[in-house]
Amino acid sequence: MGQARGDQPTGPTSWQIGPDSARIDALEGAVIDRTDPILEQISREDLKAIYLDGLAAIAAAADLAELAEVRVRFLGRKAPLVQLLRSLGELPVEERPEVGRVGNLVRRTLEAKADARERELESWKLAQTLEHDRIDVTLPGRYSPLGRLHLITQTRREIEDIFIGMGYEIADGPQVETEYYNFEALNTPADHPARSLHDTFFVSEGILLRTHTSPMQVRYMEKHRPPVHIIVPGAAYRRDSDATHTPMFHQVEGLVVDEGITLADLKGTLETFARAMFGADRRVRLRPHFFPFTEPSVEVDVSCMICDGAGCRLCKQTGWLEILGAGMVDPNVFGFVDYDPELYTGFAFGMGIERIAMLKHRVNDLRLFFENDLRFLRQF
Amino acid sequence: MKAPLSWLKEYVAIDLSVEELASRLALTGTEVERVTTAGVPGDEENLQRFVVGKVLDCQRHPEADRLSVCQVEVGEAAPRTIVCGAPNVAAGQTVAVVLPGGVLPGGTRIKEAKLRGVVSSGMILSEAELGLAAKSAGIMVLPSEWQAGELLASHFQLSDWVLEVEVTPNRPDCLSVRGLAREIAGITGAPFAEDLAFSVPWGSRTIDQDIAIEVQAPDLCPRYAARVIRGVTVAESPLWLKARLAHAGLRPISNVVDVTNYVLWTLGQPLHAFDLRTIRGGRIIVRRALPGETIVTLDGELRRLTPDMLVIADAERASVVAGIMGGEESEISESTTDVLLEGATFAGPSIMRTSAALGLRSEASTRYEKGLDPEMVPLALDMACSLIVELAGGEVSVGTIDVRAYEHVPRRLRLRPQRVAKVLGTEVAQAETQTILERLGCQVTPAGGELLVEAPSFRRDLEREIDLIEEIARIHGLERLPSTLPARRQGHGGLNRSQRLRRRVEDLLVGAGLTEVINFGFTDDRWPDRLRLAPADSLRDGVRIANPLSAEQSMMRTLLLPGLLATAQRNLAVREERVHVFEVGRVFIPQGASLPREDLHCGILCLGPWEPAGWLRSQATVDFFLIKGLLERLADGLHCELRFRALQGEECERAAFLHPGRSASVCSAEGSVLGWVGEVHPSVLQAYDLRGPAAAAELDLEQLLECADEIPMFRDLLAFPPVEQDLALVVDKSLPAAELVARVREAAGPLLEEVRLFDLYEGAQVPPGKKSLALRLNFRSPERTLSEGEVNELRAKMLACLRKELGAELRG
Repeated sequence: MGQARGDQPTGPTSWQIGPDSARIDALEGAVIDRTDPILEQISREDLKAIYLDGLAAIAAAADLAELAEVRVRFLGRKAPLVQLLRSLGELPVEERPEVGRVGNLVRRTLEAKADARERELESWKLAQTLEHDRIDVTLPGRYSPLGRLHLITQTRREIEDIFIGMGYEIADGPQVETEYYNFEALNTPADHPARSLHDTFFVSEGILLRTHTSPMQVRYMEKHRPPVHIIVPGAAYRRDSDATHTPMFHQVEGLVVDEGITLADLKGTLETFARAMFGADRRVRLRPHFFPFTEPSVEVDVSCMICDGAGCRLCKQTGWLEILGAGMVDPNVFGFVDYDPELYTGFAFGMGIERIAMLKHRVNDLRLFFENDLRFLRQF
Repeated sequence: MKAPLSWLKEYVAIDLSVEELASRLALTGTEVERVTTAGVPGDEENLQRFVVGKVLDCQRHPEADRLSVCQVEVGEAAPRTIVCGAPNVAAGQTVAVVLPGGVLPGGTRIKEAKLRGVVSSGMILSEAELGLAAKSAGIMVLPSEWQAGELLASHFQLSDWVLEVEVTPNRPDCLSVRGLAREIAGITGAPFAEDLAFSVPWGSRTIDQDIAIEVQAPDLCPRYAARVIRGVTVAESPLWLKARLAHAGLRPISNVVDVTNYVLWTLGQPLHAFDLRTIRGGRIIVRRALPGETIVTLDGELRRLTPDMLVIADAERASVVAGIMGGEESEISESTTDVLLEGATFAGPSIMRTSAALGLRSEASTRYEKGLDPEMVPLALDMACSLIVELAGGEVSVGTIDVRAYEHVPRRLRLRPQRVAKVLGTEVAQAETQTILERLGCQVTPAGGELLVEAPSFRRDLEREIDLIEEIARIHGLERLPSTLPARRQGHGGLNRSQRLRRRVEDLLVGAGLTEVINFGFTDDRWPDRLRLAPADSLRDGVRIANPLSAEQSMMRTLLLPGLLATAQRNLAVREERVHVFEVGRVFIPQGASLPREDLHCGILCLGPWEPAGWLRSQATVDFFLIKGLLERLADGLHCELRFRALQGEECERAAFLHPGRSASVCSAEGSVLGWVGEVHPSVLQAYDLRGPAAAAELDLEQLLECADEIPMFRDLLAFPPVEQDLALVVDKSLPAAELVARVREAAGPLLEEVRLFDLYEGAQVPPGKKSLALRLNFRSPERTLSEGEVNELRAKMLACLRKELGAELRG
């Protein structure tokens, strides 16, 4: 029989539910279903009529209000069925049990059908409301502002995190610095030819804007005994301003001092860094170089990430990109901080944050980092 | 420095290709900036097309006044017809000819061509066309003994590879062809022509008859030596010398001067040639400049000297800035016949200072300032004398004046193999160590497991054991070093508290919608006026840069706000109307003569609509409460409490850049001032061409971070339920809300867990001069469930208290 109807509210598999005409036809087909087992039990014609009329009215109720009326008509206090059951006592004794049993069966069945119909109408009504709420999901979402960290900060953190992973701490030092820490204690006395490589901003006699983050090497070693494992990120200044130089820039200095630190350790450390920063398949090479405060000194190249060493415009056809300078701490520097150079060895390195960021993100103009144009900053 | 390959090969037998050589140099510490070709393309086929020609006949071109039609014998069966435009071409000349198919420097290929009806099958060359001079007035005329058809390349270097190397400041010995050749020998093992000697053709006079030398400043001049050559004929240099110099990037001048440059480039020892006749009093005096002394240098500039500068003078006046540049007066000219040749060594630091002070650098000064080997002087003088006599004639006066203020003490260093291993992290065999050092010019003697090493005089950078270790590392090969990681003994890596919290602050601000900017540490000097600072405001007294690049960068910042306003200005100029930015950076507060205090500040600026225009209508406006909300969010994220109070008295004056009625001090819970927040004063916005409203804040970040609670402790908010009460209180309009909240807290005691102000009403339903503030109160005990009665009692007590203290009434 039509138990599919009404017994179960139509689930949300389809939003197209409701008493459309096709459904009502189906329902009426069910109502005159002669195989309904309940019908067989009803012998009285009046009860049969009530039952069939009730089923039809419930099925035909188009909304909750109509259904409420149907309930009153068939199941309310004044409904013929209820009246009949209430007046059972007036029937002949032998008819009473049968009429009582069948009458109650009809009532319970109609109540169940009405409840089912109610659930159905409710879910239809909700579905209708939801349908009414339909929106264009392709419209833009509600804006919730998102900021960005400056690319220098992002890169600085990335560098920091790589070295933290290798056991380094982070130190910070003054940007307005003495000549002593910036040059002298770094084995660069006043007349050292290497000073001409640093175009220095001076503040007053003996005070300047640090030209690199290296002064912190000395400051830190003055205050700490080995083992030393630090990096020093920060701003530095040189009196130079053109397409490839800004008067302020950022460096990360590194310093490791302990017994038994070797140039091979420096090589391994910088290889590890370069691969963590630029990808596991990068190759790294060390070239001898000169810095006053390291001996031996090296420059470090990483294989070009665009051409993978084949040669391209970025690497000027060399296949290699210079990323930093480094070396073993010069024994003279240990002399300034009272470390025994026979006992301790160490390495130091310094890299430009902007340079690393430019290589990693292929930024083509250093000056963009300090123009603070939001069209630039929002890209990262 | 430019080093032509053929020149290098005179001293070292290089069997690598030029690319391999460049790569080997780079990997051993001599950066090769580029490898270029000088002269004509050097392939054999091309060189065959450059030949000696004899001009047999030369007639004016029938169709062109300025052209000549020449018949030129080039060693072929018949002479070639060549049209030539040079004014000096004439019959009988020996000339340089390029035959059709030849390619000139720069890539021009010469073809047989018809010039005004006459077919020219080749071209007669000028020096400029061969890259030997910048400009030529006419064709070059070759020595007549050169035979027609001979290859030009057999007479001089027509083509060369040139290595442009960048030499680090510790290796002035490599600033010469021979020094670089020795380095190449050291790094490749190729044989090096160690012995170099020149025989000087001595004349009959002695040098004492010509000149006397007096060194009055021996501290600045360790060695001063001189020779005299009399009777020279100053003329152009031969082509082989011109080609050498031109390929090295030097300009040929005259035979005598070219020889000094040739020696400089070969050995690295600067020489100076004087016209002996211009030396007054027969004396050369090496002394410090006199106060106010001036000299006109070779470049025609008048130089004012100071007494810390060394000069070479005669009996009367200074004639050369020692080691840097000669004077016009004593320079070699066409009429010079007698030459005084100076070979000297000067103190590097003095040369560097003088060079910097005069803004004058030369090939000589860049070498001297790095410290040269005084032992080079005699060889350089011998080489120059022998070449000058060969090229310009004359006689060398017998003897050398040689004033030395130093004693050559060979440097003997001890090298311990275990120290090499300790620094490098790898063992290098003793035999290899010895070979490496010997190839570099050291004398090595093994002694009891160690090596005794005598460094050559030209390697002044080899002073200590570590310097030798560096040599071993770079030549043994850094690529052969193992890669290891240092052991991390004791301690661990990580950020410290303030570094962690600084990152948190940055992340909170980014999450709140602000973009980080980074401005230079220095600013212009106009911002204090733009920000309406009082004339005596201490923020005006920033750290000044003594030598700024521009006024825009002349003072270290004392406040981040000006940089943020400038950022907004720049972004508005490119039509970016929403500028919501922050910066975390140092400001610099002068501390008298010592280093300034460098405070870490966090500055915020919000300008323009908070949200971009969209189809959903925007609610938030940029105002005081927006930026205050950002700070509250920050405080929330740091688990600390910030208090805000209207600026008072002097604070208002100092914050003249803020809207006086919409600005506040930001304080810690304990009341110490961390910074300020407020809407930017309209006049300030105007000064930066900005249209408001804009709101800003700036905090001392380190102080803020001290307030943070990095490790919050658990409070049990779950075991016992809160009791919630709403309270609308009518108070004086002037009463700050924060004060009401504070009094409520005070009056309610510890059971009041949270107070939140959720409504403000001013209007018809409250009396004039009053406002209604609605508060939601949460009461909670950590120990038990509060009863309704208990809370009502508290509430009543509290209300009585507020009525008494603030005249607050419950709103009906």
